[in-house]
Amino acid sequence: MRFTIKVLAISLVAIGFIAYAFGLSTMPTVSAQKPKMPVTPSLEDFPELWSLKPVVRPAVPAAPAGTNPIDAFVQALYVAKKVTPVGPSDQRTLLRRVYLDLIGIPPTPAEQNAYLNDKSPDAYEKLIDRLLASEQYGVRYGRHWLDVLRYADAEERMYAAPGIHYWRDWVVNAVNSDVPYDQFVRAQLTGYRTTERTTMQNVGRRTPLERRPDDLFALGFLARGAVNRDSKDLGELQISAVETVSTAFMGMTVGCAKCHDHMFDPIRQKDFYAMKALFDPLVIKKQTLATPAEMVASGKQFGEYDKLRAPIEKTIANLIEPYRAKLYADRVGMLPTEIQVVINKAEKQRTLAEQKIADDYFPVLRLDPEKIEEVMSEADKKTYKDLRAQLNKLGANRVKELPAFWTVETDHALELEKSYILTSGDPERPEQNHPVEPGWPFDPSKKDFREGRIEAFSDWLTAKENPLFARVAVNRLWQWHFGEGLQKTPSDYGFLGGTPASQPLLDWLAAEFIVRGYSQKAMHKLMLTSNVYRLASSGDKEVVKKNLEADPLQRFLWSFRLQRLEAEPIWDSILTAAGNLDTSLGGTSFDIEARTPRGRGGPAMGEAMAEAKTNRRGAYIIRGFSTSREVVPNFLQSFDVDDGRAPCPVRTQTVTAPQGLFMMNSPEIEKAATMFAERIKKESADDLSKAVELGYRIALGRPPSVGEKENALTYVGADPNRLKNLAWLIFNLDEFIYIQ
Amino acid sequence: MADQNPYPCGKISRRHMLHQSMGALMGGAIGTLWDQDGKLNARLPGDKKADAVIFLFMCGGVSHIDTFDPKGNKHAGKLIDAIGFGDNVAEMKRPVIPCLRTFKNYGQSGTPVSDWFPNVGGVIDDIAVVRSMWCNEGNHFPAVIETQTGHRGRAFDNPSFGSWVSYALGSGNKNLPTYVNVGRPSSPVQLTGGYLGAAYAATPFQAGPVPIPNLKPPASSNAVERDKQMETLALLNREFRERHALDTDIAARIGSYELAARMQLSAPGIVDLSKEPQHVLNLYGIGEKPTDEFGRQLLMARRLVENGVRFVQICHAGGGNGSWDAHGDMKTHEPLCRAVDKPIAGLIQDLKQRGMLQRTLVVFTSEFGRSPWSQNTTGRDHNPKGYSSWLAGGGIKGGTVHGATDEYGYKAVENPHYYSDLHATILKQMGLDHKKMKFRALGRNFHLVEEGYGPIEQIIA
Repeated sequence: MRFTIKVLAISLVAIGFIAYAFGLSTMPTVSAQKPKMPVTPSLEDFPELWSLKPVVRPAVPAAPAGTNPIDAFVQALYVAKKVTPVGPSDQRTLLRRVYLDLIGIPPTPAEQNAYLNDKSPDAYEKLIDRLLASEQYGVRYGRHWLDVLRYADAEERMYAAPGIHYWRDWVVNAVNSDVPYDQFVRAQLTGYRTTERTTMQNVGRRTPLERRPDDLFALGFLARGAVNRDSKDLGELQISAVETVSTAFMGMTVGCAKCHDHMFDPIRQKDFYAMKALFDPLVIKKQTLATPAEMVASGKQFGEYDKLRAPIEKTIANLIEPYRAKLYADRVGMLPTEIQVVINKAEKQRTLAEQKIADDYFPVLRLDPEKIEEVMSEADKKTYKDLRAQLNKLGANRVKELPAFWTVETDHALELEKSYILTSGDPERPEQNHPVEPGWPFDPSKKDFREGRIEAFSDWLTAKENPLFARVAVNRLWQWHFGEGLQKTPSDYGFLGGTPASQPLLDWLAAEFIVRGYSQKAMHKLMLTSNVYRLASSGDKEVVKKNLEADPLQRFLWSFRLQRLEAEPIWDSILTAAGNLDTSLGGTSFDIEARTPRGRGGPAMGEAMAEAKTNRRGAYIIRGFSTSREVVPNFLQSFDVDDGRAPCPVRTQTVTAPQGLFMMNSPEIEKAATMFAERIKKESADDLSKAVELGYRIALGRPPSVGEKENALTYVGADPNRLKNLAWLIFNLDEFIYIQ
Repeated sequence: MADQNPYPCGKISRRHMLHQSMGALMGGAIGTLWDQDGKLNARLPGDKKADAVIFLFMCGGVSHIDTFDPKGNKHAGKLIDAIGFGDNVAEMKRPVIPCLRTFKNYGQSGTPVSDWFPNVGGVIDDIAVVRSMWCNEGNHFPAVIETQTGHRGRAFDNPSFGSWVSYALGSGNKNLPTYVNVGRPSSPVQLTGGYLGAAYAATPFQAGPVPIPNLKPPASSNAVERDKQMETLALLNREFRERHALDTDIAARIGSYELAARMQLSAPGIVDLSKEPQHVLNLYGIGEKPTDEFGRQLLMARRLVENGVRFVQICHAGGGNGSWDAHGDMKTHEPLCRAVDKPIAGLIQDLKQRGMLQRTLVVFTSEFGRSPWSQNTTGRDHNPKGYSSWLAGGGIKGGTVHGATDEYGYKAVENPHYYSDLHATILKQMGLDHKKMKFRALGRNFHLVEEGYGPIEQIIA
């Protein structure tokens, strides 16, 4: 497979910008700049992009026997970049780091003791194995993936909202059972883990293989994108699929090409719509999740409901028809006479040219129900509304909604339709002069769509030869462990993404990922057993200063990056300290704040079904978007959790006063501090010195230093009731929400 | 290699540039972070005209054609081809839709304002309308980034406009944030401190009935005890902070905790509107359903500005593309206009009555305007090529109309102003030189304003 990057439209402005981005030109001065309207792109050859070249497994630099190959590469980096690593981290700090990294929950004092007392040479490896085997690992790393795959419980009118959590459960389970990454991706694109999707029958007919039943839920990934805005389905499913698939699995921001040729990368607008065409035949489908008995019972309810409904609906239709007809005639009447003539002709009487005119005007003449309601007489409107209310009332009482999951399927009739470029990004405005064939960028070969468009794409995407597939994935794993990817922009391997901190290391990891059968757990272990992962997060001030001079952005791995915990592990750490964390897996999301959806009588279509249970893991806190209300709880918002509308490759780490206010004053902290205090008081049998020690070990994974203990005890005095205030103090320590 | 932002399409990272801020932030971080004085030597000679900005950002794109830039209906109903305007890639016939608004000439100046903004019409003599704004980006996220940061794309971690102002001028009241955002923005970029650092980012206030959640300590705590706790907290944080003294995040965290603690004392009084007399509440439409929420936000904005906040940004109808994004039907503008018209007029009147208007700049804008044509609906498409923003107070020449779009309302043709000119104008009124809004990091100077003609002198008194 060859990845050519030849033809590209690039504007002069873009050239200037690229030159600038690579530091080739100086900053333009302010005064003389006159504003320029954009220049129409012209064709130009594009320089080669490192990320599109095949992954060639680099030789591991020479190093003593037993060296983790990662460290061999990192050593070479130190030499090349003239930086000196700080020393290794102490055991306790490392233990807390590994726990929060792999499962997102800090180690208990018992776990701390067990590890520190294990003197066997493979104690650290055993620790990693144990944590990777814990199902809590799937909650943590599943959540990472769900950020990238834009999981949301609600988004305006999101069809798949009811039951979307089954997709989350699928991801968590897949990560826990270490489904190979290529299978993980294929299942979410096609519902099949393998590239074998059909079988030849004895009679000589090729038929689809049966899917694993649970992989139905993997397709929630695609169904999630279907969103109805302003009562219209504007093809969000397809657009969201292209944007997510390209950023998540290819590391390319193809989405920018939606409205214009990508300014900085070899991706043309045509490529975006070619990718969109892959998904154009896709439609969403509701899949009932009920037992046969439930379905039979529901069918009966429907029958009864229909009987009651039919007469009312007929009355409504009769009531509306004269208004609809008049409104249509009025609309036609507003058009120029010659157009009216054309419109009023029966379709078969029109010439081709006339039909074109009629087609152009069709959307102008379309009548939505609200428009009809607007022109009704007051009396009729009232009758109409009453009738609608009667209908609604019937519905609410008669038919119980069966639990359901929304999936996707290919509509073969849509496969016959052409796809077009939509400069406006709006599917209602296809550019009939710019049809596109389904396809994808970087691959000029002739496509074989016999097994389906997405299937063909998925085979290309997940092939070992694809230079982006493994690179993008291992880099994400690296980022989740180290706080920053080797490629700093994990979803952008284009020109603005720059180059990785160490391409040999990234390429070696990518090659190794393939050799190890795309096992994420194998890569976790490889990374975590490196010395570079086990470095301290701080060191000798002089060494650090010198390193910072050589490497101001701290890209070259000479210390472990100090990281503020994300919202979820903060939540989990608070509840763990309180002894109140429910670690059960799966199910619907929960809301921290007691809020009811605004719709009357329960959640409206697309509204998330959130429980009120509030001590589950932070990964299950509701997130999403609605125009009429806040969906994401304030806690998540203030700690930088996205609403899930778009893929989120990197969580921001802001530092704001509202975060401080949450930790100081929120009812959640008040409750947790009370429970935390009671816990340490009880477990230390009222020995305050022991209680302080325990508090530190539970929350920070270490005993207090002599000075800290002294200060803490001075503060508590002799009053065990003041342990609650101490608990508050511990929650508010910087260290509590940082990984060192 | 420059600092690569991991968020190509609008996300932010505030953790970066550790090196450059090392000197400034080591040691006594609180003192430097929350300095009363600005960090930039960018003062213009002479006195500044305005002390504060209330920046009203209508998320999604207000239709200038239906509000402040009447075009008549000469072309209504025509199917026109955008290729004719020279900047559309593909052929596309689109119907110019009629403007269903009636315009009235208001005030002494006779500036026309549509029936969607009757109350703003009432204060039009304090307002300068610029009808010839333009920017490059035609989609919400990129346009929000461009108008907010003065730069297209997120290749660099460019800060939002408010954080530049906050950085340049410093705090007017150390008990409150310098830069406050109210309401949900379209993009987190609207709040970012970018390479200026997390300390200059907007402090987000919520839009709803509780502007600052968790502002009140729990019933079980008391002030004396809290003081003691804060002292002990500093002691217990000491070892950790010494170990990570070189990290900007930790330095900013110290500042954020200090601010949070001080906000507990000062902010409840400021965000509590219950002491405001009824006639003031009426002015903002507080207590009337359509205007209550936005009215409260604007009244709070006045109170914040009164108390030394430099930059209050109010994002109206934000989240996603923004509710002003009226593709389907222009009627969706109607409730939004009703929600903001009276409160905005009330704010201007209130500021004026208090003698604050001359020192407070009120700015009304969107990321872009709306097109003359529809997408075969009764709504309008995006239009970055020509649209209206307006300014009031703070030394702005009221009753002015400046610039013009073409006869369709599509392109800015007379005195066109790139969005950065709006930034330059605001800066000038705040006594800042837009050419000196620069920041050195990674061996390179970054500027807020890189394009444009500078301040719009024609609207400055």
